[in-house]
Amino acid sequence: MVRFKHRYLLCEVVSDDPRCRLSLEDRVLGGLVRDTIARVHGTFGAAACSIGFAVRYLNAYTGIVLLRCRKEFYRLVWSALPFITYLENKGHHYPCFLNTLHVGGTIRTCQKFLIQYNRRQLLILLQNCTDEGEREAIQKSVARSCLLEEESAGEELSDSGGEEAAEAME
Amino acid sequence: MPAPAATYERIVYKNPSEHHYMKVHLEFQDHGIGLNAAQFKQLLISALKDLFGEVDAALPLDILTYEEKTLSAILRICSSGLVKLWSSMTLLGSYKGKKCAFRVIQVSPFLLALSGNSRELALN
Repeated sequence: MVRFKHRYLLCEVVSDDPRCRLSLEDRVLGGLVRDTIARVHGTFGAAACSIGFAVRYLNAYTGIVLLRCRKEFYRLVWSALPFITYLENKGHHYPCFLNTLHVGGTIRTCQKFLIQYNRRQLLILLQNCTDEGEREAIQKSVARSCLLEEESAGEELSDSGGEEAAEAME
Repeated sequence: MPAPAATYERIVYKNPSEHHYMKVHLEFQDHGIGLNAAQFKQLLISALKDLFGEVDAALPLDILTYEEKTLSAILRICSSGLVKLWSSMTLLGSYKGKKCAFRVIQVSPFLLALSGNSRELALN
């Protein structure tokens, strides 16, 4: 039918500095993306992308960001993301970059992808971790996520993905 | 006697030329302002950068000829960038604070077509 279609870009903020993710704020990041689009694509790009632009979800612990833009101009936004090289917040300057994980048409598809991605990341973390205490915590998280996966085979859980991600990084 | 079966081959050319050529003329409100070729190209690139950003300011744009006295030039741009260049020239308003405007005289995908202009034809 007649409606405005959007594209949701699921990105991850990657940085050497661990304080960078904690200082993530949606308004700061939104302003940064808009400035970068204005620099890379000019006044036309800035105007075209800022109509439907919003930061929909932000997780400071995992550095996952969900950006929304109109379907006609999502390529302008996507191509401007590699030009973001730093994050500036309250006078602190952190070098970082945005890694795009998934482009989806709805928040639900992005959430499904994020749940699977976090499960895979948990297994990778399990392989790489050195401390015994950490290893047990990660193994518990992996076991819990497998149980949740069996439960949700029949029904649809709406908030488990976000909670899993927050618990996994604590 | 039946005719032998004929084989047909259909070749379709969809705009084979990759470049478009534009003949333009820069007009200032005040007279007596001169630009050399480098400044002219810098003006065009800054117009593109204002409207379309750094990505499109890097479009392969060439100035084939430039006349400093009349401030007219022949430009070459790849076909995908023609609309962007033309629209950014349209929206360019000033150079170093002085009002100016680009007049586009002729646009063609073939350079030879710019050599003659039926508007300037003098009939004796």
